[in-house]
Amino acid sequence: MKNILQFQSVTFIYHTPRGELTAAKDLTFSVDEGEFVAIIGPSGCGKTTLLSLAAGLLKPSSGRIERRGSLGYMLQKDELFPWRTIEKNIFLPLEVQRKKDAAQRERALSLAKKYGLGDFLKSYPAQLSGGMRQRAALIRTLATDPDILLLDEPFSALDYQTRLNVCEDVGNIIRSEKKTALLITHDISEAISLADRVLVLSARPARVAHAHPLDFGDVPPLKRRELPAFPVWFERLWRELNA
Amino acid sequence: MKHDYSKEHALFLRRRKRNIALVWALRAAVLILLFGLWELVTACGWVDPFLMSSPSRIAKTIASLYRDGSLFYHIGVTLWETLAGFAVAVVVGFAAALLLWWSETVRKVLEPYIVVLNALPKIALGPLIIIWFGTGSEAIVFMTVLVGVIVATLNMLAAFIETDQNKLLLMRSMGANKLQILWKLVLPSSYPAVISMLKVNVGMAWIGSIMGEYIVSRAGLGYLIVYGGQVFKLDLVMSATFILCLLAAGMYALVVLLEKVLLKDKDR
Repeated sequence: MKNILQFQSVTFIYHTPRGELTAAKDLTFSVDEGEFVAIIGPSGCGKTTLLSLAAGLLKPSSGRIERRGSLGYMLQKDELFPWRTIEKNIFLPLEVQRKKDAAQRERALSLAKKYGLGDFLKSYPAQLSGGMRQRAALIRTLATDPDILLLDEPFSALDYQTRLNVCEDVGNIIRSEKKTALLITHDISEAISLADRVLVLSARPARVAHAHPLDFGDVPPLKRRELPAFPVWFERLWRELNA
Repeated sequence: MKHDYSKEHALFLRRRKRNIALVWALRAAVLILLFGLWELVTACGWVDPFLMSSPSRIAKTIASLYRDGSLFYHIGVTLWETLAGFAVAVVVGFAAALLLWWSETVRKVLEPYIVVLNALPKIALGPLIIIWFGTGSEAIVFMTVLVGVIVATLNMLAAFIETDQNKLLLMRSMGANKLQILWKLVLPSSYPAVISMLKVNVGMAWIGSIMGEYIVSRAGLGYLIVYGGQVFKLDLVMSATFILCLLAAGMYALVVLLEKVLLKDKDR
């Protein structure tokens, strides 16, 4: 299996007029093709910095980041443009990357229809529920057929009920589309219910303190929560986070 | 619409309707009362109509202006100056805001100059404007532009800069260039701000054109007011002011209507 994303002893320093802050130090990890990796860490440990580095929006102070292929970025809120219909929102990355030919559009549309957005293509985001909006955001992310998905706490803006459903949704869609994904979250149970492997970051400056392959296989998120191994993992990760 | 409301809801709707009607009736009553009182105190000689004018004298003055053909001439002159100044101020302000958004360096360098220009009372430039543009309509249009353009620039720039940071991040993660970010995100998300800028600038344009006519003019409503004041024809002053009220209110109503049409069905 080949690496899609690789961090090699990456250090990142924030510079402000008041001083400097080492957000990440000697950070090394990789994400394999088809793998779902979740990163959890104490709050303020620089999780979002890490995703910006992975997306190439920030350059590391030292070390190397290698990424093969294109990426899709999904944020906390859906960030759908309210003046565009769902269909036009899904086409946005195609427009930006000038890939708006008929085949690409057809692919994006069939994804939308496959995952239950068919009736909402001509609707505006405000007419959809929070869960449906986040689903539309995922389809927008998938529209360009990216090689890796970067997910920045994509459920944290939703209420608990919706959150469980959308987590199930997104987990299943990513698995059935066989996508590589890197999820960043502070929610331990979300990490366990979605990932193949969980990385635990230390407090700032962030480095990988622990790495755990999970052995749930293709069990969907909600089902995982019912398995006896789930609370065991939760307990363990909880302790490691608070160490 | 369904009509199987409860009795209580029907009552609520009726009350609401009655309330709205009442407010409108009272508004009309206030106007009638004010004009009636004004007419009464001047007609009975309690107040000198030479100093206060009166509704009937205003009506007569407007009628005579209409008969000698100068009514629509003066309205036309002022309207043209206001609209031309408004249009130029809006277009130039918008373009300047775009430039300042595009380059942070330009923005930082020009910031203190814009602040000073914004704070400067534009009427102080009156003599310069007369010397540069003469005493025709051009001078007044220029004054109108001066009054409006900085406000338009600052309003638009604030809207451009306030573009949602997360949406910017999203666009950049898609690999969007600056022009795409401008075209697909910054401009559409500033759309409501554009409408509100137009609204503010309608008011600014009236201030500019009347102020301009006060300084230098041979025609227009501002000219009538100044001229009326100089020769102590208070009827003329009041008439021109009254027409100005109607025009400004009419133009504002148009903008509000435009706002309703343009922002219809948009969730923001």
